[in-house]
Amino acid sequence: MLREVPPSRAAGAAAIALVVAWSCTLSPVRLSVLVGVAATAIAALGLDILVARSGQLSLAHAAFLGVGAFTALNVGGHGGPWPLALAAAVGAGAIAATLSGLPSLRIRGLQVAITTLAFQVAAENFLFTRQDFTAANQVLERPALLDTDLRLYVFALGCVAAVLIVRRRLAVTAAGRSFLAVRDVEARAQCFGIETGRTKLLAYALSGAIVGLAGGLLALKEGSISAKDPFVLLESLQLVAIVVVGGAGSAAGILTAAVVVKGLPQFVGHISIPLTGIDLDAVRIVPIASAALLVVAVVAQPEGIGGVYRSVGRVLDRLLGRGTAGRSVPRAQPTATPGAAEQATALRGVPRGLSLEMPVRALLETREVTVQYGGVVALDAVSLEGRLGEVVGLIGANGSGKSTFVNSVSGLAPVTGAIRFRGVELVRRPPSRLSALGVARTFQDMGLVRAETVKENVLLAQTWLCNYGRLAGILALGSTVTRERELRRRADMALQLFGLDHVADERLGELPYGTMRIVEIASAVAAGPDLLLLDEASAGLGPEESHALADRFLALRNELGLTLVVIEHHVPLIARACDHVYCLESGALIAEGAPGEVIAQPAVIQSFLGRSTAASGGPAR
Amino acid sequence: MAQVVTGLAAGAAYALVAVGVVLIFKGTKALSVAQGEIGAFGYFFGLRWSARGVPGLGWHPPLFADLVIAAVVGALLGLVIEQLIMRPLVQRPPLDGLIATLGVALFLALLEKEIFGTATQFAPSPVGKWRVVVLGATLTAERIVALGLAAVVAGAIYLFFTRTKFGLAVLATTGDPTVARLLGVKVTQVYRFVWITAGALSGLAAALLGPAFGGLTPFDMTKFALRALAGAVIGGLDSVWGAIIGSLLIGVLEAVVGGQVGARGAANVAVLALVIATLVVRPQGLLGTSGAA
Repeated sequence: MLREVPPSRAAGAAAIALVVAWSCTLSPVRLSVLVGVAATAIAALGLDILVARSGQLSLAHAAFLGVGAFTALNVGGHGGPWPLALAAAVGAGAIAATLSGLPSLRIRGLQVAITTLAFQVAAENFLFTRQDFTAANQVLERPALLDTDLRLYVFALGCVAAVLIVRRRLAVTAAGRSFLAVRDVEARAQCFGIETGRTKLLAYALSGAIVGLAGGLLALKEGSISAKDPFVLLESLQLVAIVVVGGAGSAAGILTAAVVVKGLPQFVGHISIPLTGIDLDAVRIVPIASAALLVVAVVAQPEGIGGVYRSVGRVLDRLLGRGTAGRSVPRAQPTATPGAAEQATALRGVPRGLSLEMPVRALLETREVTVQYGGVVALDAVSLEGRLGEVVGLIGANGSGKSTFVNSVSGLAPVTGAIRFRGVELVRRPPSRLSALGVARTFQDMGLVRAETVKENVLLAQTWLCNYGRLAGILALGSTVTRERELRRRADMALQLFGLDHVADERLGELPYGTMRIVEIASAVAAGPDLLLLDEASAGLGPEESHALADRFLALRNELGLTLVVIEHHVPLIARACDHVYCLESGALIAEGAPGEVIAQPAVIQSFLGRSTAASGGPAR
Repeated sequence: MAQVVTGLAAGAAYALVAVGVVLIFKGTKALSVAQGEIGAFGYFFGLRWSARGVPGLGWHPPLFADLVIAAVVGALLGLVIEQLIMRPLVQRPPLDGLIATLGVALFLALLEKEIFGTATQFAPSPVGKWRVVVLGATLTAERIVALGLAAVVAGAIYLFFTRTKFGLAVLATTGDPTVARLLGVKVTQVYRFVWITAGALSGLAAALLGPAFGGLTPFDMTKFALRALAGAVIGGLDSVWGAIIGSLLIGVLEAVVGGQVGARGAANVAVLALVIATLVVRPQGLLGTSGAA
């Protein structure tokens, strides 16, 4: 099946092909300049992985570039073949970046940026002043294969292309999705089977590896590097400027910015007559202008050049009649699509170490679960059970410990006591392991990535089913491509089952609130759980929508055979959908039983609806 | 001991910059890395006018005026940056503010290079040539003044935050701009105030550091500002006292390690290791609150 190519893409591809073809006809001197531009572009594309996908700012990328370049010189200078030198540069860049990323396991945002700044200054003042590290007496001989400037330039273009492919693979595999999840929902991402620490470090490593490649390329171009000028703080800032002006996340924008900032001054300089001093001006003015542009971009146009390209593309597509503008987003409809039963079976068919047939009375069983935050007891010796195929309701006033209970089952709260799922102890098990055991959950205030499409979010929830290594996925090794295809089919099925297929390619954040909530449930179901924990799924929904939600709960139980633990405020929904209800007050259980009985108990009414109820006959809040 | 005293004197100048960084962070939740360049800009203008006369007036300000000019130009620059750049970024993620000030720093550093050249700009001390020997360390006038100024600034800021209505307004804005606005605080005044004050403090610091280090090049202040930033981070980004203590600590560490090993590089690495260790072990800094973490 051939995908339809929008005219803007085709035009863009043609323009790039023309520019690249033209650039190959330039003089050797200029080609050499362009190799340098390519190295900068690669470094910026690497930095962008951190900035756009992981939301981390690194001010040390020029230092990583230096680490890569000097490593290549050392390896090549000691007689290592050039591919080995290049590979060593990639590896050294990855290691340096991973080291500088270690603090991000404990701290965030501004603080991480400061530590990378510290790393940059330390590298500049310590590493790059050591003659043994900077390979002062070594020369990396350029191999015969790359001995002309044109050949080296084509090789550099190949490197850029390789980096672009890696970025593309990143976007469509588990690694890229987990980067985004850790960026936007941090700890909650663990519930999809993502290990946050390793994910952060992988982002640093990958970014560093790409910058290392750029360093290796510089080493190949120069042969020996005596000054540390290309690797100082100023250059790090310039890389940030290129990414921001180009537009974080936009490869086309970043490439353009790199050419303008690094290429233009050299080219203008070479064009002008030396005596007029104009070439000097270009070399001086462009960095100042790029700094000013950086400021303007942050303040006025956060999407940078890439954003401009996208707008132009949209206009182009609309002119040629393939626009998507003005399309309204329909609401999600519960549907009984033909073949729903087979889809349900397929969704349930996930590989699992534990069998559902295991003889346990209760799927979920908690004993004396207590959670303390400082001196506050959020959950006080709660023992309850969720039997196989039940919809268990958990009710209670705000702050009574309902969400804390769900958090303790999913491993996000410090628990004492016992939580058994199919007889397996869950306490002190990392939250990222639970999805594989068969526990999935939703959050009261969304645990998904709003900036991504609905389908990407469903794929994100299926992360634990990606049985390939993150790196293997990026490099398209082994069965990753077929596995991704299967997972995409699976995501489609889940969306169909919930009547969401028509919004699959919409951005989650742009959907109506009610639809977002359904998407979150659909994502959790797509992960193929046996036990589904829903934290206030009806919060913010109207009466009509909550009614439909009750039906949905029952459908999940009846058709998919799921066991549900639902936190709810909405009494009609509880009465309609739940088999068994527990009521919490101040962290302790005060009632349990059939919904009708529990809701009728005076203690529950008092706790749930407020103390004044008995006197005034109406709810206090 | 002598090294400790010299270190304290240098640290006092860093502290002036660091206090500015903290004020901006408290008031606007933005981390400014441009304070060094802002100060240097003021200092260089002072130098130029002393040497060539103020354009249009033909008045050659006395050397002492360098201090004032640097502070005034720094304050004006702070005001311009706040109005044009930082104001639209107030409600955006903190990294946006950081990137913007990075851009400003880059822009000013390169511009300074264009206007004033890369040569070391030197002028005799604006506060005279006297010196004092303390515990075996010879302290020049500008270092003594830096110490004195840091003490005065610390006292003034303490009084400001505890005794004035506007100081309390700044503190309220730190907590939550929206709530502060509802309470009747003119939040925009707070934003303007912190940037102006920080700019002036940076200008003072540059005018005192310049002669103390035998002149400045446009990129020197970047180095000093990084130390001030390190001081602020170690002390806690939202604590004025923390910034002062942290900066003094940095000054002493630099003097002692630099003196012992004899290599500036080692002193640098020691400072940076201290920054990273602080951030990892105690992200909010020595005296900072969780708001700084």
